Amino acid sequence: MKEKEFFSSRWALIIATIGIAVGTGNIWRFSRIVAQNGGGSFLIPWVIFLFIWSVPLIIAEFALGKSTRFGPVGALAKTAGNKFGWMGAFVVFVSTAIMFYYSVVTGWCLRYFFSAVSGNLFNTTDQLAYWNEFSSGYQPLLFHFISMLLVGVIIYNGVTKGIEKVTKILVPSLIIILIILFFRAITLDNAIEGIKYFFTPELDKILDYKVWLNALTQNAWDTGAGWGLILTYAIYMKKKEDISLNASLIGFGNNAVSLIAGITIFSTVFALSSVDAMNQITQSGPANTGLTFIYLPQLFAHISSNYLVNIFFASIFFIALFFAAVTSLMSMVELATRTFMDFGFKRKSAIIIVSVCGFIFGVPSALSLDFFTNQDWVWGVGLILSGAFISFSIIRYGVDKFRTEIINGYGSDVKIGKWYNVVIGVLIPVQVVILISWWLVSSLSWDPEWWNPFHTANLGTAVIQWVIVLSVFIMLNKIMITKLRKED
Amino acid sequence: MNVVSIITMIIILGIVWGGFTFFLFKAMSFEKQKTKKKIN
Repeated sequence: MKEKEFFSSRWALIIATIGIAVGTGNIWRFSRIVAQNGGGSFLIPWVIFLFIWSVPLIIAEFALGKSTRFGPVGALAKTAGNKFGWMGAFVVFVSTAIMFYYSVVTGWCLRYFFSAVSGNLFNTTDQLAYWNEFSSGYQPLLFHFISMLLVGVIIYNGVTKGIEKVTKILVPSLIIILIILFFRAITLDNAIEGIKYFFTPELDKILDYKVWLNALTQNAWDTGAGWGLILTYAIYMKKKEDISLNASLIGFGNNAVSLIAGITIFSTVFALSSVDAMNQITQSGPANTGLTFIYLPQLFAHISSNYLVNIFFASIFFIALFFAAVTSLMSMVELATRTFMDFGFKRKSAIIIVSVCGFIFGVPSALSLDFFTNQDWVWGVGLILSGAFISFSIIRYGVDKFRTEIINGYGSDVKIGKWYNVVIGVLIPVQVVILISWWLVSSLSWDPEWWNPFHTANLGTAVIQWVIVLSVFIMLNKIMITKLRKED
Repeated sequence: MNVVSIITMIIILGIVWGGFTFFLFKAMSFEKQKTKKKIN
């Protein structure tokens, strides 16, 4: 397919892609996982996996998108062979299934921003009851609708007038807000205790394989590597643009933001919490929302003796969270839209289909936290399979050929060495096998009826949903490839 | 903060924030070179 629209510059591409990578996971999931896995002990493997999971897969996605000018279905079919187009379709489906409930999360952030600005958030002393009242009503549905509509309108305007224009405002604003919060947090009394915990490694935790697996999982989930999203934005990068340097900048940028958010949250919680600070960070709460929507609002009420100052800090925190969510949601909507476009749809009709379906299929998650948790579990682990399929396509193509001809090809500022062959050809597949096996085996102990597909989070529900989706795409493979060839 | 925490902090922040700054400046210098080439 001949591409007509491109990001106007390298910086526009980098900002938009950082918008994909930096999401709510950097802010609320990262801090909780660091706390649960022994602070500094977790950070060491987390940095190692940045080199052997995130950056190599981001490079792979950039190269696939730039070289094929197709979304994941066409990109994987062109590299792995037409027989494997279904793998790309699975990558698209996983990110789209996440989009359905991620729009709900975006809506929560927007609703809490309004609550903070109006001061309603501080009119209650029982934040758990406040959250329960909100999440069990119909408001999540309304805010899910607003989020989907807003993002739909942005994507409707295309790459330069939509994605580029919006991310150029939201991403720098998000980073500025996080830096303001960071400096406020580290200057609170007793903040040093939080920073100390955050950076203190414990030897027994470093030797614990679960800490390493959690660090790998965090990298897999929060950098956007292996989701197919970066691949989609890479379709719109100019031929003269570099791959490896841009990819490294995004991987490191994402983790740099996670560290800012982590230090901010640890400092705030340790400085302001009157009870056990660790308990507050590690307790997940319903659908893992505890830290962000229940405990932090309690703490913001005590950030200073001035009510308006507290409102200010709570408001900018939730608007930052909303910006982070919107820029990630935009990429998920663009991925689904682009896939329709690859099959011959016009952008305008594709975005209408995606937005309407996004709203409809997000309704169950907006109304039921159990359904939300189920989808988060099934497709969250499904993402690891997506990473495996991307790696598989490059292995089929020939890792060395991929590296020398595509990554180090025209436009590259920095050449990638042979180490990349080992990472993509050996380390990523090994990590995938270990990670998927660990998650699935662990899930056996969560539920005595581990085989029951109608339970919220267990082995049965994950495997059955993957098998259904994979079977459908394997059956449709020939039709998909024929249609793609026609459009090519 | 004890010595181990300080060393861990320096290593982690050094790699992640330092790495980000390094790649950012590298990208900026490549862009500068490209603009110079265009002018010439």
